[in-house]
Amino acid sequence: MISSRQADVRTGRASVLPAAAAVALLASVATSLVIGTGGIGYGDLVSVIGVRLGLPVEPLAPLTDSLIWQLRIPRVLLAATVGAALAVCGAVLQALTRNALADPYLLGVSSGASTGAVLVVVTGIGSTVGVTAGALAGALSAFGLLLLLLRGSGLDSLRVVLTGVVVGQLFTALTSLLLMASGDADTTRSVTYWLLGSLASARWDGVILCAIATASALLVARYYASSLDALGFGADTAASVGVDVRRTRLVLLVVTSTLTAVAVSAVGAIGFVGLIVPHGVRFLAGPLHRTLLPYSAVAGAVFLVWADALARVLLAPQEVPVGVFTALAGVPLFLLILRRRGEL
Amino acid sequence: MTSRVVAAAVCGLMLLSGCAAPSTPESGAITATSCGMSLTFAERPKRVVTLDQTSTETLLALGLADRMAGTSNLKTKVAPQFAADYRRVTVLSPKLLTAEQLRAANPDFVVASFAEQFTRDRVGSREELHELGVPTFVSAVDCPSGDASPFDRLHQDYRTLGQIFGVEERAEKLISDQQEALSKASSRNIAGEPKVLWLYSVFNDVPYVAGGTGIPQAMSDLLGVRNVFADVDEHWPEVSWEQVAAREPDVIVVGDLSERGAPGDSADEKIAQMRRHPVMAQLPAVRNNRIIRVSGIELDPSVRSTHALAQVARALADISHDL
Repeated sequence: MISSRQADVRTGRASVLPAAAAVALLASVATSLVIGTGGIGYGDLVSVIGVRLGLPVEPLAPLTDSLIWQLRIPRVLLAATVGAALAVCGAVLQALTRNALADPYLLGVSSGASTGAVLVVVTGIGSTVGVTAGALAGALSAFGLLLLLLRGSGLDSLRVVLTGVVVGQLFTALTSLLLMASGDADTTRSVTYWLLGSLASARWDGVILCAIATASALLVARYYASSLDALGFGADTAASVGVDVRRTRLVLLVVTSTLTAVAVSAVGAIGFVGLIVPHGVRFLAGPLHRTLLPYSAVAGAVFLVWADALARVLLAPQEVPVGVFTALAGVPLFLLILRRRGEL
Repeated sequence: MTSRVVAAAVCGLMLLSGCAAPSTPESGAITATSCGMSLTFAERPKRVVTLDQTSTETLLALGLADRMAGTSNLKTKVAPQFAADYRRVTVLSPKLLTAEQLRAANPDFVVASFAEQFTRDRVGSREELHELGVPTFVSAVDCPSGDASPFDRLHQDYRTLGQIFGVEERAEKLISDQQEALSKASSRNIAGEPKVLWLYSVFNDVPYVAGGTGIPQAMSDLLGVRNVFADVDEHWPEVSWEQVAAREPDVIVVGDLSERGAPGDSADEKIAQMRRHPVMAQLPAVRNNRIIRVSGIELDPSVRSTHALAQVARALADISHDL
């Protein structure tokens, strides 16, 4: 009897949770599309999208159309994909390194991105497209250095983490050196703003790149879901149930680091999402990676969409870097989940 | 009908004030170039948005308040002579304008002093805006071409904007006023060739001083004095107090940024720091208080720079004879 009730609860949960997640994501995206400057309503959204679909609707003024189609829609979608990307990377790295404090930036990828971005700004190669490309190159070189330093090792968790932290420190020092050598207060300020993370530069190209990277990474990670579960019991146990430990670690390190590199180069280092969202989802949906990974993606997306909506309007007309908000909104939310689980 | 009456009235007013530009286009578009991009206007801009304080003040100096849809990004108070006009214009944002806010303001022309305002994470690139039919203007001062002095580049801005707005005579008047201020300053009787340190700000006890590329260098050349950091190829390089002392400036010009209000921004605080510093305190310029205070914002190229120049010229004429 008890067991059948538990089964009921499980199946009930299994059917309710995916629906709830999908509804939450769609509702968040739809709501946040009309939050912000310019009094945009759903009617405007319909005509902007209708014009693209060739429907017979009255087109808006070019600037209003641009506000919605070139700025607002890509921005909300980029928030969703980057939120999903960071949460998935965090969940995978926490399992891979068996470290509850692991986040996507643990292995120095974001420090590499900063160095690349600063190098581009300081040498004056210029436009924001350049900054993004520089950040991507920097992030990938940091990860390349990490792999070089780890070559021939068994990719043991502690070794990966320590090497990653060292690589991160190296690139942080390089960034400071570049900033000091350039000695320009305005450069320093604009780079600092970028480092805090902001979705203000979101355009369609970034959305498409991030969406492809996130979707592929999620698929690969989900393929390794049961291996990640096994790794949670330690490398030896995982190996004894037939997991190719080194291969799993290598593939997932490459996938998460590449995805982090893409996300960071698009929007800067937005903190907190990749650290906290996987923990929150573990409380709500359990620790099995087959469910943990997709729910983390949805929760990360919802969380960042709302954090960015707040960043747009709370101190309007000024905009707050969204990284500030992820922490401001995330801390109480996380404490609430902890408390409800009775673990605090 | 009504609009025609208004247009006629405006034309009449412009004739009265002597502003009917000869090149008012009867047919065809107005064209101009700004920092490597060509601008095309179907008609005179009526809804301009400015992206920084210097561009705001430039347009106000040209008497264009009634053509402005909004301003943004005020660093410090606007100059008193522009305050009344400034209050007539909507402030879209006290800080940096966002891309969404700019589009919501429905501008027909966007003017900035710095090219960096037109990046994706600010208001969007110039190309994006031009595609939307909104021409963008970047000051010639921030446009890396040729070796014209910052003052000449400012004058070039006034001329181009005057042509775009059809207020050429106001632009020429502004240029001749500024030229007069320059020649008045350069005719001051400054003895010898005093060595001058231009101190902009002190951040974390590190001084930011004028290098060889900014407007203080142009002021030094004009006044026939030596900028002690003329050899540094930057606008405002970050140096050390030791380097400053080693170059033994005879006179120190200090930028006052007290309206910005951050700690260490006022001229008094910067002077106090120099007096406390063991090496700086020994400099004759500090010991004998040969220090000139000017408004910090006027040490960046703008329509206000001639004000600081006049102050410095007058003070140097006094001090230089006691050196």
